[in-house]
Amino acid sequence: MLTNAILSGLTMGGMYALVAMGLTLQYGVSRIMNLAYGEFVIAASFVAFLLFTSGGLSPLVSLLIIVPAGFAVSYLVYGILLTPLVRRARSREALEADSILSTFGLLFIVQGLMLVFFGGNYTSYSYFNTPVQILGTTIAANRLVVLGFAVLFGAACYFFLMRTRTGVALRAVAVDPIAAGLVAVDVRWAAALAFALGGAIAVTGGVLVSMFLTFNANIGVVFTMKALIVVIMGGVGNVAGALAAGIILGLVESFVATFVDPGLTIAVTYAVFLAVLLVRPGGLFGTAK
Amino acid sequence: MLEVSALSVAYGKHQALRDVSIVAAPGEIVAILGSNGAGKSSLLKALAGLVPKSRETSVTLGGKDISRLRPHEIVEAGLALVPEGRGLFGDLSVAENLQLGAFAKRARQGEADRLARVLDMFPRLKERRAQMARTMSGGEQQMLAIGRALMSSPDFVLLDEPSLGLAPVVTQSLFSILGDIAAAGTGIILVEQNTRASLRIAQHAYLLENGRIVGQGTAAELSADPAVQRAYLGL
Repeated sequence: MLTNAILSGLTMGGMYALVAMGLTLQYGVSRIMNLAYGEFVIAASFVAFLLFTSGGLSPLVSLLIIVPAGFAVSYLVYGILLTPLVRRARSREALEADSILSTFGLLFIVQGLMLVFFGGNYTSYSYFNTPVQILGTTIAANRLVVLGFAVLFGAACYFFLMRTRTGVALRAVAVDPIAAGLVAVDVRWAAALAFALGGAIAVTGGVLVSMFLTFNANIGVVFTMKALIVVIMGGVGNVAGALAAGIILGLVESFVATFVDPGLTIAVTYAVFLAVLLVRPGGLFGTAK
Repeated sequence: MLEVSALSVAYGKHQALRDVSIVAAPGEIVAILGSNGAGKSSLLKALAGLVPKSRETSVTLGGKDISRLRPHEIVEAGLALVPEGRGLFGDLSVAENLQLGAFAKRARQGEADRLARVLDMFPRLKERRAQMARTMSGGEQQMLAIGRALMSSPDFVLLDEPSLGLAPVVTQSLFSILGDIAAAGTGIILVEQNTRASLRIAQHAYLLENGRIVGQGTAAELSADPAVQRAYLGL
């Protein structure tokens, strides 16, 4: 039971960490508080479901289509919907407030479209759902695949942000956009790129989620909330913090569900969140400003 | 050549700069002197594209018009600002700050050589490469800020009060390094309240008062001018 709790905690935690990394890019670099973030996750789940059931396409293959599409759609959303707000905003704080309102609207548009196309029922499909024995416990193979991919994508994003020139430039914009302009970083370009990359990460999460969870058109907000908690817990704009906080959250949820009561997971999630904020207001890895 | 003419800047109704014209030759140190609030910082911010300039303003660098460019394009054209407060990325390491300095496309070629030169110039930065920028002393941060600006391979660096908050002995060694930088071919526009130290290393200087240029000349002429001595050098 313990190994099982750890494994499923790591799977969920890996998902949270991955999904939160996209939000921390969008929020930390582009200063867009994207309330429709979870809708992008779930929309990708539906597309993966559709491609699997009607096209017979494995979700791992459909990643090759869905991830670039998520990038492109997010880039367009930024260019068409959010750029006017960016140009008009007098300060980053003003942009944050404006973006909350407009992405709140976007949330309902995307949710409405999903309801029209897929209805309100819970959806799931069975992919690679064979039990495997590992470390003396039984777990569905798809969860292991998801864990592996979450680690892979998470590591790739981490490497990109920490080690490549473009990644360091994005982090520089998150720290100080004016100073970033002074080292020849085109801040508008960086914001658009970060938003699109965040969207690509969101849809990656959505495809992986669809492989082992049931989902419906209304649960996007759950992912937005969880990602937000992870981002704030890890320290806004802090990639390593998001990774750590995501995995901690997954493990805590899994342990509470296994050993205490599944109904308490959300309450415990928020308790951990509050405790972290009380002790370290800037987040686990954040710097108090 | 950096040529600025008819530069005016207004913040709402407040006119910060009026019809300012300055010229700097390659590899030259030009000091902009003036008291607090004279418009010195506004001048550098305007050149770097951080504040809007009036329509009449013309700024050319090597004959190319850069008056309407955005900040990152101005760095790309060859003008690098070290702003007041230094503008470092506090949560990033010294090495990452220097790497970002070379983000401009013009700076990609020869980046390794330039990094070696900057680290030679400021050996402290070499010792502290892995340290987070905000944990360093004021003098070290100023060195990092200047080193980062040099990493963009600029034709001119714009320095906003580099001596602010530094101990006199640190200022002295910093200013002698500025002399070396100019001698190696990178021009410097130096905004300072420390008139004496500035006139010692500058070739030309401009006097700025209430947003206007009220005097100019070679450093030697200005040092010998009784009015300048009274107003700026406290003699």
